[in-house]
Amino acid sequence: MGNKVQLIIDGALAEDKWAWCADEAAIGDVPAIISLTRLESEHEALRQKNVPLGVVLRNAGIGRTKAGEDVHRLAPHLDMLAVVAIEFDTYRNGRGFSAARILREQYNYKGEIRATGEVLYDLWQFMQRCGINAFEIDSTIDLARFKQGVNALPDAYQPAGDAWRGILWNRHSKG
Amino acid sequence: MYRYDEFDQKMVTARVAQFREQVERRLAGALSEDQFKPLRLMNGVYLQLHAYMLRVAIPYGTLSARQMRQLAYIAREYDKGYGHFTTRQNIQYNWVALERIPDVLADLAKVEMHAIQTSGNCIRNVTADQYAGAVADEIEDPRIISEIIRQWSSFHPEFSFLPRKFKIAVSGHAQDRAAIKLHDIGIQIVKNAHGEIGYEVHVGGGQGRTPFIAKKMADFVPRDKLLAYLEAVMRVYNMLGRRDNSYKARIKILVHEIGESEMRRMIDEAFATIDASQMLRLPEAEAARIRSYFAPPDFEDLPREEALPADADLAHWVKTNVVAHRQNGYAIVNISLKPIGGIPGDASAAQMEAIADIAETYSFDEIRVTHEQNLVLAHVRWSDLAAVYEQLARHDLATPNLGLISDTIACPGLDYCNLANARSIPLAQDISNCFADLERQHDIGELKIKISGCINACGHHHVGHIGILGVDKKGTEFYQISLGGAADENAALGEITGPAFTEDKVVGAIENLVATYIGIRHDGERFIDTYRRVGMAVFKERLYGE
Repeated sequence: MGNKVQLIIDGALAEDKWAWCADEAAIGDVPAIISLTRLESEHEALRQKNVPLGVVLRNAGIGRTKAGEDVHRLAPHLDMLAVVAIEFDTYRNGRGFSAARILREQYNYKGEIRATGEVLYDLWQFMQRCGINAFEIDSTIDLARFKQGVNALPDAYQPAGDAWRGILWNRHSKG
Repeated sequence: MYRYDEFDQKMVTARVAQFREQVERRLAGALSEDQFKPLRLMNGVYLQLHAYMLRVAIPYGTLSARQMRQLAYIAREYDKGYGHFTTRQNIQYNWVALERIPDVLADLAKVEMHAIQTSGNCIRNVTADQYAGAVADEIEDPRIISEIIRQWSSFHPEFSFLPRKFKIAVSGHAQDRAAIKLHDIGIQIVKNAHGEIGYEVHVGGGQGRTPFIAKKMADFVPRDKLLAYLEAVMRVYNMLGRRDNSYKARIKILVHEIGESEMRRMIDEAFATIDASQMLRLPEAEAARIRSYFAPPDFEDLPREEALPADADLAHWVKTNVVAHRQNGYAIVNISLKPIGGIPGDASAAQMEAIADIAETYSFDEIRVTHEQNLVLAHVRWSDLAAVYEQLARHDLATPNLGLISDTIACPGLDYCNLANARSIPLAQDISNCFADLERQHDIGELKIKISGCINACGHHHVGHIGILGVDKKGTEFYQISLGGAADENAALGEITGPAFTEDKVVGAIENLVATYIGIRHDGERFIDTYRRVGMAVFKERLYGE
């Protein structure tokens, strides 16, 4: 990653309390974001340890179609995860949008879903609509600009992972 | 036809402002070309060989006269006075300056048009049968569900950065004029034993360098579950489609690599979850609202058909370009955009304006674009045919060659496109000139020639009765010929005849193929029928013999 990033959670600048923890490194007392493979191999011990835990979901180069990690693998562990960081290895890779919606809508995950990687301006609104609520963005962007980005379009046609129901439904909603 | 309400207008207007701002950021250097690219693509802006190209969406190919006039205005004001109708039922302008594109989009928005999702790795403009609502024995007008899909897929937050582009086509008739089996998703409207309307869904068709006929994934998706089913297909694709190699990124490759039954299993699993939420079941009032826009126009109660004035040219044109209508006393008129020696799909601003006038006067203010790059006036009174013919002829729009050898599909080719290996348009013109004699064309009968200037197959060569593919061999343009393709309900991929031909030999080869067919055809057999009966060997021998 080139520039420094800042973290925005639920529309406000936030301090990043999470440490990215490499697979070989020990998990200390600070909240740690670990890999999915580590989570799967150490989940019993981690459950005992009872420390705040996050996981990163990789979205490229893994699996038979080189697509990335399967979000459904997170399902048995979601109750112990405070953060799921979804990797956008490039802004062109929109696989993470599906992962976010599955977490929110299929698994009813209420924790933080964080976009990490190439989290560019023109993606923010789509990310938010899919249920992503935390954004690692370039530190030179001010909050007003962020708000512009997540509100780029005034409405949506379809329901997704946020509260909007979509124009197709709202035209006939009562009240 | 569908009309925008305040919601639609608000979205399109907002999009114009959004893109204007994106262009400003690009021109100011705040966005790199690499970062700008997916944004401009999602608004139909390509960087071509000589200039930017703008592709304007014509949802399911339906236009009003007012919209057509605006397209003419844009051709004149921002381009060189013409536009190019495409195989996706859209129109392209090849010479628009980037800084003026936001103004073009603003002008389009004034007439309920846009360029949203006409390119880029997103769900593209939905296409449909050009005879929708006009042809007899239609199960349902495909534009109703197409409009619902258009709205559902517009600015879809989950599916705007797919592994690759995604195309959906809909047919509401047993005869497929929308080439649905050659789309990422092809939807055939069907009626079940209980008389209920639903959708047969085909997935994974496509042309390009690795052509596939789509696999049938569902026999009957009930009406209120289609959006959930589509979302399931899209999600499986977005999750598993390959992003490591753009040549292997289309859904057809995913279906091929993991297999049809595994694909079906995954779609069904995702569908069960998505449908359970009932979130995508459209309110009946909204479905009815959209359906009402496609209600039949106020047809008059007319006798079955009237005699035409005794005029050989008119009779000729009616026989070739006019198709039976479901309503007594009406006809479907095809406007050929393939004048002899012309550029397939091109129309000048003056021609567009003339067509708008004719549509307004004689065809309930409606025009259709076909995937074979022609136009249609869907509802013309039989008694007006002579007047319509006379006015079309005055603008060189009455060539009686629908479905004949000079009614070719051709991609823009090396004359415009930076992907092309060879020119397509001049070859289409050469073939057209060679067979200029319309009597001869009629004797040959239906013969669909489709020409692509490179392996990406934008000219649909895989599904031409005769397909022609331009290839580059050490800097020289060669053309590979294939036979036996079809894009209709009997969709098939053509088979390559053998070694490619140099440019000066192609037209001769086509003449050879035609002569072979004429020599062995049975009564009433079209070229494709004869080919299916006798196979490749006879044609091949004639082409390469000795």
